[in-house]
Amino acid sequence: MGLTVPYVTSYLSEHFADDAYATLDGYRARGGYEAAQQALRTSPEDLIELVKESGLQGRGGAGFSTGLKWSFMPTDGGKPKYLVCNADESEPGSFKDRILLERAPHKVLEGILIGAWATGSEKTFIYVRGEYAFPARQLQRAVDEAYAAGILGAKVLGSDFAHDVVIMRGAGAYICGEETGLLESLEGRKGQPRKKPPFPAQYGAFGMPSTVNNVETFCHVPHIVANGSEWFRGFGTEKSPGTTIFGVSGHVVRPGLYELPLGTPLEEIVFEHAQGVPNGRTVKGVIPGGMSMPILPASQLDVPMANEHLRERKTMLGTGGVMVMDETTCMVRAGCVITYFFRDESCGQCTQCREGTGWLHKIMERIERGAGTPDDLDILLDVAGKMEGQTICAFADAAAWPVQGLMRHFREDFEEHVRQRKCPFPESFEL
Amino acid sequence: MASIRVDDHELEVEEGRTLLQALDDAGLLMNGVDVPHYCWHPKLAIDGSCRLCQVEIEGFPKLQIACNTPVKDGMVVRTQTEAVRRAREGVMELLLINHPLDCPICDQAGECKLQDYAFEYGVGQSRTREPRRALKKSVDLGPTIVFDQERCILCRRCVRFCREVPKTGELGVFNRGDQSVIETFPGSELDNPYSMNVADICPVGALTTKDFRFKIRVWFLEDVPGVCTGCAAGCNVWLGTANNKVYRYVPRRNDAVNETWICDHGRMTYQQIGSADRIAHPALRGEDGILRAASLDDALAEAAARLRRVLDATGPGALGVVASPHASNEDLAVLRSLVDALAVEGAALAVRQGDSDEILVQAEKAANATGARALGFGDPAALLERLRGGALEALLVLGHDLLDPALLGEGDALDGVGSVILLDSHHSPLERAAHVVLPTRHAAEKFGTLTNHAGRVQRVRPAVEPAWAAWSEGELLARLGAALGLPDFDGKFDPRAVSRALGERAPAFDGVDWDSVGDEGLPLKQGGA
Amino acid sequence: MVISEDTRAAIEREIGKYPQRRGALLPALHLVQQEHGFVSPDSMRELAGIFELLPVEVMEVVHFYNMFHDRPRGRHQVHVCTNLPCSLRGARGLMRQLESHLGIHAGETTADGRISLGHEECLGACAYAPMLRIGETYHENLDAEQAKRLLDGLE
Repeated sequence: MGLTVPYVTSYLSEHFADDAYATLDGYRARGGYEAAQQALRTSPEDLIELVKESGLQGRGGAGFSTGLKWSFMPTDGGKPKYLVCNADESEPGSFKDRILLERAPHKVLEGILIGAWATGSEKTFIYVRGEYAFPARQLQRAVDEAYAAGILGAKVLGSDFAHDVVIMRGAGAYICGEETGLLESLEGRKGQPRKKPPFPAQYGAFGMPSTVNNVETFCHVPHIVANGSEWFRGFGTEKSPGTTIFGVSGHVVRPGLYELPLGTPLEEIVFEHAQGVPNGRTVKGVIPGGMSMPILPASQLDVPMANEHLRERKTMLGTGGVMVMDETTCMVRAGCVITYFFRDESCGQCTQCREGTGWLHKIMERIERGAGTPDDLDILLDVAGKMEGQTICAFADAAAWPVQGLMRHFREDFEEHVRQRKCPFPESFEL
Repeated sequence: MASIRVDDHELEVEEGRTLLQALDDAGLLMNGVDVPHYCWHPKLAIDGSCRLCQVEIEGFPKLQIACNTPVKDGMVVRTQTEAVRRAREGVMELLLINHPLDCPICDQAGECKLQDYAFEYGVGQSRTREPRRALKKSVDLGPTIVFDQERCILCRRCVRFCREVPKTGELGVFNRGDQSVIETFPGSELDNPYSMNVADICPVGALTTKDFRFKIRVWFLEDVPGVCTGCAAGCNVWLGTANNKVYRYVPRRNDAVNETWICDHGRMTYQQIGSADRIAHPALRGEDGILRAASLDDALAEAAARLRRVLDATGPGALGVVASPHASNEDLAVLRSLVDALAVEGAALAVRQGDSDEILVQAEKAANATGARALGFGDPAALLERLRGGALEALLVLGHDLLDPALLGEGDALDGVGSVILLDSHHSPLERAAHVVLPTRHAAEKFGTLTNHAGRVQRVRPAVEPAWAAWSEGELLARLGAALGLPDFDGKFDPRAVSRALGERAPAFDGVDWDSVGDEGLPLKQGGA
Repeated sequence: MVISEDTRAAIEREIGKYPQRRGALLPALHLVQQEHGFVSPDSMRELAGIFELLPVEVMEVVHFYNMFHDRPRGRHQVHVCTNLPCSLRGARGLMRQLESHLGIHAGETTADGRISLGHEECLGACAYAPMLRIGETYHENLDAEQAKRLLDGLE
């Protein structure tokens, strides 16, 4: 049932092999909740400053500065404030939050407690994707333990700070990973992202000031509090400090999780850690950060896995889900799977997204069937262009970027389909 | 207030408004500043999903939707740039890939925002080779509306309308992505007193009213501004006319009266204009007790003779006068003059009562009861008492609201009155008691003003000309006064001149006349009656 | 009344966790589905009553989320992830084999009402593909024979 622990570990995952780490006793035995104790003795302003200095960026896909996000929360009292933990991990190729929830639920809670103190939030809603039944049970057990031990509730760790945690399970909708889609879902509605303004820090969960952070993001926080921002900056690159847990999938010998510093070259992840492509084949392309991030061709695997470098290659770190495709792979088939996913998961609000995702998928399928025409390739790009940057949330961009990536690096695959009027990759994965 | 610039327009706008709201407030939206939009509607919650209203705002890296962007002092907005043009083109192309190309058989053709905007902002040719989405056609949504799911562009105005205005919320958007469809809950219907508004706000031909469906192409219709006569709300309407016939009412926006709505009942009252039960000629009751067609001159002479007999024999105390709340202020001003000239006391107003609601519908089922009261026609209780007590020998009655169950009911009490002169537009049991019947015009057939329940004076004008004999009450009464030989009655009736003189008769009308009220009306002075 | 007293009590407990009643709608739908296997229009009406919503609003929510069903399904819900990471490692072939093994297509239920088979989007098991989910339980690193045996073992 449980995931295998990461093949390469660092501070986040070093104790994951120990089943007891998921229990309160086991977590405390490894120094758990000491950082939270320390945080409660620190002023919220200093904590936010510390997290800002650490350079921690959100690990949910957008990579926004966590400290800055926390600082947007109003401090004028008045309304109750909420923290929201985004455990709706649904990005294809991404499965790191799942292991954090399963193996280190108390670490998630400790990060939440520190964030709650820093932002003055009275309650945290942890939104766990509906399919994650086991991770949600692990987390619930941890929450129950924490209440029983006085870590949550009216007097957090013996202080005067009160904090409650509610776990809510989603019900199968990728868009609820978008922070305002999540807020809508939390409020019992369809998970349709909200138009902005207002932003969550002013009008978030149940209309109250709220901050939404990803599971892994919270997990880094206790380590930063315990060891300082300089220590944290000792990992990763100057602009992208810390480690992340890369999830490697697809055509590799050893798919799995690898906790590595940001900036680790993609080729090191694929060839050293995941041990390269099986069956003596070569890499054709790699999606570096979950399915919504544009693919890179084999020639660009030297890129360090940090946004400042990935952006130069017109892609992003996203959630760190590395998907490897070998030389047999038909990129049009990959395009079919990708565009089907976004068509299936579009919430349907905005015109460009609702109609564009469907159109992209229909064109992809037609090209794969051998019924494509040369101008279809330009239409694909044109439609993707019409979707990008035009909608309420970034979902339409996420649907457009992978198509643009495929066309940028593998246009010849598409052209061959059109020329031969069939798929020229008989060895490719089945569709 | 905030100062903003939109293209070449410098505007002072209210803080807290969004750009589209501010443009709408200024009367510039699609009327000087073209920002096409589908999901935004001035009277519904902001949705922000159609993405058609994107504009360029200085300082924003990306285009912003005008419907949801709050104005800020110093904001500079451009609505006609290349980036905006491309964005609009994109939305239009994407909306059209799944929209059926059935305009030749679509009832919305001619007033379809998809057609209009495709022409204005579209690319001009279709690039899609994929089959269009196949969905339900001609869905019977309820008693009033038919829905074509394939034509729907999911702007969700109808969904918001049902939740926000009648608060019945029959419609929902089910599924998601490009499988999204609008439907009702299983086993329930779109059935509320305002249901037909969804057809008005539907920018495409997805929602159409059963009543208007396939009747006439809209480009044959001439729209005449008017007022609904279904109740005292005085909702502003466009009368869709062709071939001297009114084909429909659609609400005409008036933020002081009905915003952009009208109730279904009121909407359907257009049918009363050309209905088969109109009184189509003057009539006189013969010796044999049978009502027969007569010339207007004969009917007026007979009416004058009957009134004169009573006045001469018994005096004005034996004459009862009942004003109609359906007549215009101008008509009633003439009645007022007549009543005063004859020294008749206790001239009253009869108004049929019915249901009301919190939205628009008023209990008084007539368009001008407030105007009648402002002109001194009051409660009918005393008059009815005199009538029942046999004190009345003659009755001059306008309209048949007396038949309201709270007043005369079936009208048997009239049987003993020696002379009943009836001025009315539609047949009713009142005619059984009438000795002289004079056919009147509907508000859609004359110049005049009507005063709604809140004291707002609004004007009407002839949208159609009755194909039979009918006159406005004012004209009939002016002629009757002349036939009675009353001073100051020359038999002529100029409604706009009477309108200008209304203030002399009732100060509340001072400066509030047909010309000055314009097409959106003006309130009576000091709130009216 | 189709929603049992026990489930209603559990729903009320969920409602207590949220600042607004409606926050507990998804948990309530999970509970109702646990009780009945699906969320019928009658249940939606009752939930609308509990949450002071219109039935149509409840139905919109049911239709939006993949995990809620408005009609009865098989006793066992088998979902094969067919997203890209799983497809790269043979998920589509696995699905085809299961379809022929059960004699139904994805999206259908066996005639005996035993199994409903369906595609699903990424379940967060990308390194352990191909995989499937039976109810709440993940089964990972499967080959076709193992998967068939799993299904055969379902009552």
